[in-house]
Amino acid sequence: MNETLIRLRLSFFLGLRSLRRGNIGSLVMTVVIIGMVFTNMIFLPSVITGAINLFVEQTIEYSSGNVLIEPKEDAEVIEDLEDLLARVNRVPGVLRAAPHNNIGGVMKFKGSRLAGSVIAIRPRDEVLVTGVSKMIREGQYLGEGDTGVIIIGNYVAGHKDKSEDLMPSLGGVRTGDSIDVEFTNGVTRTYRVKGIFETKSYMADQAVFITWDELESIKRQKVDQATEVLIKTVPGEDDEEVKLSLIGMGIQEKIKTWNDLLGKAFAQVVQSYGVINSISTIVSIVIAIVVIFIVIMIKTLNNRRQIGILKAIGIHRTTITFSYVFQVIILALMGIVFGLLILLAMDRYFTVYPIVFPDGDIRPAFTIADIVTNAVLLFIASAIAGFIPAWMIAREDILTAMRG
Amino acid sequence: MIRTTNLSKTYYLGVVEVPALRGVSFEIHRGDFLGLMGPSGSGKSTLLHLLGLLDFPTTGTIRINGMDVSEMDDDERTDYRLRKMGYIFQDYALVGELTVLENVMLTAMAQGKSENECRKASEEILSVVGLSERLKHLPKELSGGEQQRVAIARSMVNRPIILFADEPCANLDTTNSRAVLDQFHTINEELGQTIVMVSHEEWHKEYFHRIVYLKDGQIDRDEDRRSHSA
Ligand SMILES: Nc1ncnc2c1ncn2[C@@H]1O[C@H](COP(=O)(O)OP(=O)(O)O)[C@@H](O)[C@H]1O
Ligand SMILES: [Mg+2]
Repeated sequence: MNETLIRLRLSFFLGLRSLRRGNIGSLVMTVVIIGMVFTNMIFLPSVITGAINLFVEQTIEYSSGNVLIEPKEDAEVIEDLEDLLARVNRVPGVLRAAPHNNIGGVMKFKGSRLAGSVIAIRPRDEVLVTGVSKMIREGQYLGEGDTGVIIIGNYVAGHKDKSEDLMPSLGGVRTGDSIDVEFTNGVTRTYRVKGIFETKSYMADQAVFITWDELESIKRQKVDQATEVLIKTVPGEDDEEVKLSLIGMGIQEKIKTWNDLLGKAFAQVVQSYGVINSISTIVSIVIAIVVIFIVIMIKTLNNRRQIGILKAIGIHRTTITFSYVFQVIILALMGIVFGLLILLAMDRYFTVYPIVFPDGDIRPAFTIADIVTNAVLLFIASAIAGFIPAWMIAREDILTAMRG
Repeated sequence: MIRTTNLSKTYYLGVVEVPALRGVSFEIHRGDFLGLMGPSGSGKSTLLHLLGLLDFPTTGTIRINGMDVSEMDDDERTDYRLRKMGYIFQDYALVGELTVLENVMLTAMAQGKSENECRKASEEILSVVGLSERLKHLPKELSGGEQQRVAIARSMVNRPIILFADEPCANLDTTNSRAVLDQFHTINEELGQTIVMVSHEEWHKEYFHRIVYLKDGQIDRDEDRRSHSA
């Protein structure tokens, strides 16, 4: 056997017994602290991942669908809509396409004015593509062919007391109320509010919807144009593949998956969160290092005499140092396992009781990548924190150490 | 086997010089059972530490089998202590977290033998010192005499060329002291084990073949007792 292996084997032999026959209280305390530190390291990124997941889900579900078609480079609208829809709906992997025609407008209600998106939809297609219809807070969703009615987002409806509003609002609109909308083409119409939806997505809840028939009545003509077309893909289908199929069909409009849309915004959000996360990780690591350093320092100081004896009878100082490193490694592993158990319990808990934020219920997402990265970090930090005090004491002069 | 030339050791306590050894030249022969005697503070432990490669002389040389030990580096000294030397201290110096058997196995394992081999050798030597029934006990569960016998077993398991014992009976009653000395006598007689033992008990003399008396860090008298007794 080679010298290093012999030493490591003996280190392990010594370390294991020292842990087993050492102070149980300090062992449990160390494991619990490492476990808590590990939980703490994982928790923040998991909330961030949960928030990102929520944002992605909301974007797909209420704003963009899986794939979004936008007007060509220099165009304001998508032309020949019917032809496009027919083609898109035939592409394998496409569940349904829903056109949106966004005509801006100013809404008025009891002296409040609010400029925003007024989007014409085709309810029959829309319910297959977005989830807004499932998020009606009061009243009803638009029916195919409805005219004279409008449904509005929760933020648009707002509260009577505007100080309760997170966003500009019309100041407490209820179902059945009438609101006036002044369109950009100069037409003004009065609508009865048929329903109010609350998706909790900031973007979606600031919109209002009318039917395509209503739009055509405002414009006094058939509308074969859209400002965007949302596509829902068949569940399990790769959105990127569907996008390629659409391009392959010769569609000239801009085609973007949700990932393309979120790409830039995402990178920025992730970067900002990354900074917060790094700080939290560093603090956790420092706590772990300090605790382990102190535990091993105390242990080695108490064992000074024994370390002297071991050296006197010919045990190499590396063997002695690593006997402590092994103890720390075992403590760190136990701590990480303990931390994983806490995380498992938290995962169960948050599945049932998510954290409630104004923009949705965040369920912390514990990713394998976060767990592995932080476990490795904590592990390395622990090993170093254990190594240093052990190394210092093991270097001491034999007779000095033996005097204790 | 071990020859010292003009060995001296001075401790420095701040600016105060404490000369513990002053020019010790003598030789230890293979198979010796040598007693180092002398009043307290005469330098017995200091000399033993230098011979046992636990400390460094201020001046002078130690040669073991012709090799100047000052030429060994730290790792070589550690390895030499492990493989060639055995140590027994006044307060037993056992590892408290290890059982009797593990304490003895420790030095055997450090030599890289298999765990089974170490266990066998250790059990064998522990039965020689009469502790077969105590293998799984921790040191704190044993009497002083038993602990010192564990220490003897530990020092012997690697078959050292020389055994150093610094007042091994200082904490033992007469019965236990005799047991330890008898043990030394046996291994010296039967295995030809070279032993250097520090003592200041007059009655220990009867066990030694040879006695080196120290006084004020110098050899006062070197007495060969075999010529008298044999
Ligand atoms: N580490 C030390 N520092 C300073 N002085 C020491 C040290 N060790 C021993 N001495 C001194 O050296 C002298 C010899 O000590 P020692 O070898 O222990 O004597 P003995 O073992 O014969 O009683 C004594 O005066 C003692 O005080
Ligand atoms: Mg002494």
